[in-house]
Amino acid sequence: MTEFSHDVLLDEPAYVPPARKADWLMRIGVTIVTLVCFLALFGPYIGPYDPTRTTIRIAEPPPGLTEIPGLMAGWIGGTLDHPPHWMGTDANGYDIFSRVIAAPRTDLKIALLANLLSLTVGVFFGLVAGYWRNWGTELLVRVSDVVQSFPVFILAMVLVALAGRSATNIIIALAFVYTPIYLRLTRAEVLSQTSRGFVEAARAMGNSELSIALRHVLPNSLTPALIQSSVTIGFAILLTAGLSFVGAGVRPPTPEWGLMISTGANQIVLGEWWPSVFPGLAISLTVFGFAVLGNALERRYEKG
Amino acid sequence: MLLRYITRRMLIGVVQLFCLVIAVFFLIRLLPADPVSRLVGLNSSEEAYAQAAAQLGLDRPLFEQLGIYLGLYPEIAPGLLQGSLGVSWATGSTVGSEIATFLPVTLQLITLAFFLAFAVSIPVGMLGALNPGKAADKGVFVYSLFAGSQPEFWWGLLFVYVFYFQLGVAPAPLGQLSPMTFPPEPVTGFMLIDTLIAGEPAKFVEALHHLMMPVITLAFILSGPIIKMVRQNMVRALQSDFVLYANLVGLPRKRVARYALRAAMGPSMTLIGILYGFMLSGAVLVESVFSLGGIGQYAIRSVLAFDYPAIQGVVLVITAISLVVYLLLDLIHAAIDPRIAY
Repeated sequence: MTEFSHDVLLDEPAYVPPARKADWLMRIGVTIVTLVCFLALFGPYIGPYDPTRTTIRIAEPPPGLTEIPGLMAGWIGGTLDHPPHWMGTDANGYDIFSRVIAAPRTDLKIALLANLLSLTVGVFFGLVAGYWRNWGTELLVRVSDVVQSFPVFILAMVLVALAGRSATNIIIALAFVYTPIYLRLTRAEVLSQTSRGFVEAARAMGNSELSIALRHVLPNSLTPALIQSSVTIGFAILLTAGLSFVGAGVRPPTPEWGLMISTGANQIVLGEWWPSVFPGLAISLTVFGFAVLGNALERRYEKG
Repeated sequence: MLLRYITRRMLIGVVQLFCLVIAVFFLIRLLPADPVSRLVGLNSSEEAYAQAAAQLGLDRPLFEQLGIYLGLYPEIAPGLLQGSLGVSWATGSTVGSEIATFLPVTLQLITLAFFLAFAVSIPVGMLGALNPGKAADKGVFVYSLFAGSQPEFWWGLLFVYVFYFQLGVAPAPLGQLSPMTFPPEPVTGFMLIDTLIAGEPAKFVEALHHLMMPVITLAFILSGPIIKMVRQNMVRALQSDFVLYANLVGLPRKRVARYALRAAMGPSMTLIGILYGFMLSGAVLVESVFSLGGIGQYAIRSVLAFDYPAIQGVVLVITAISLVVYLLLDLIHAAIDPRIAY
């Protein structure tokens, strides 16, 4: 007697999960994001210098490529009088390398928390505005439209400068700026979900409206907002750095990439490129990493 | 029909601006900042403080302040209804006249940057769309993703280092003209036009030279989203029925691509409008890197000085221009695409 095979019983071919074709670009994105997350956790402790303490060596250029092996050997052998400044020091004498790897703690924390806050608030109000349609929720959408028509950078600058330059205020300001995006995305998705069969089925089963909204509609409406998150985190890092650059961000000596670029901006016309170039490179790669990741998620989940 | 559409859009725009004015007015007054002590200093006497507060009108009830700003009490001070944006607390001159000197700088900068970005993006986007899935397409895709996610102020500084410090082909990032040059009589406020009106071609070239790097920096950042959009709309247009038909009847490839491009430009207009509106304040970082003195830098100055009327004025003017640009581009979209009727 032969054993029953499910494949024989069913006409349809067995379920094959979609090929996980991670292309090289997505690998780069994942690598960058992982590295930045790692630095956000451990960056402040693994640098050779205290990121918030100055050294006596001011505006020292980074070692040339040919000097690096010698310095490396001396550093490991313990023959140097101080650890090398791999990226040089800035005009105040801070070790740039230690600050560049300590900065994700500031930048990523602000970006992640701002994103989490706006995601939560935006999705909540988006669900409410999409599921219960009346004049109150209509007003909510209009208010969010007004906030969205505000010039983003100026709004963030006004909120931070007038409320006080602290990380908490930057988080609140960015969350305020990004909430309407999530509200809009989630509302649109909720509107398209409420007319579908499973909602009617849930209603026929006798579920309460609240439970349908929270347990059936909400989980099915989260995808666009979650995909948007990766993009938003990247842009939040750009905005945080931009705010610091114009003097409306975190206060020195907090290690923050935008602040570091701003400190070096005056020296760059004199040829001292290193105080600005290294933190800028870090922002450039980080935001690119998040953009790549967001794009890959979009391609994977939005077409399905 | 078209006229009715425009009127409707304008009316909605006015309502939107009115809501914005109210929102900004209360938002900046809700935040825990003290503009009076910023002006008179923290150690000033109580009389001086009260006098300054009275001078700014901050001793009046909040709704009366709003009424004055809107222009409901023209006997106290002219307001929005009288066409006045108020008086700057930091400088004492009218906000309207200050914005009129700062705004053209930004408009000139971003308009040139958009033209440059467009000139680069259309062929590049088409290259990607005409070779879908090939190496060129992938390259175009990675480039657009990269350019669209870059810190523009850092790229500005990099360009300054390379082209000013190392190569010496660009001027120092110190403004629209070199500090030694006497600027021409401001007529329109646009440096490139004013130098021509004054009949000074040498200064025109100098202004163009000073605009070169900021324009390239902005165009680089803008090219990211524009290429992505051109490519996407182009791919869609190439799959549409009329392109299939054009191919079937044997029209040359180049001509079909031109038809498809025209069809792709229509839907692109909306995004261009949004980008342009965004850049009005988004150019602020590039403006400050090159010390151009645009509307964004005026905004920074006003915000850091707690200059409420100036902040309100900047937000109002920038949003109003964005709304007008959106409308204009929607009209252009309708003119390009015969299927759209209002």
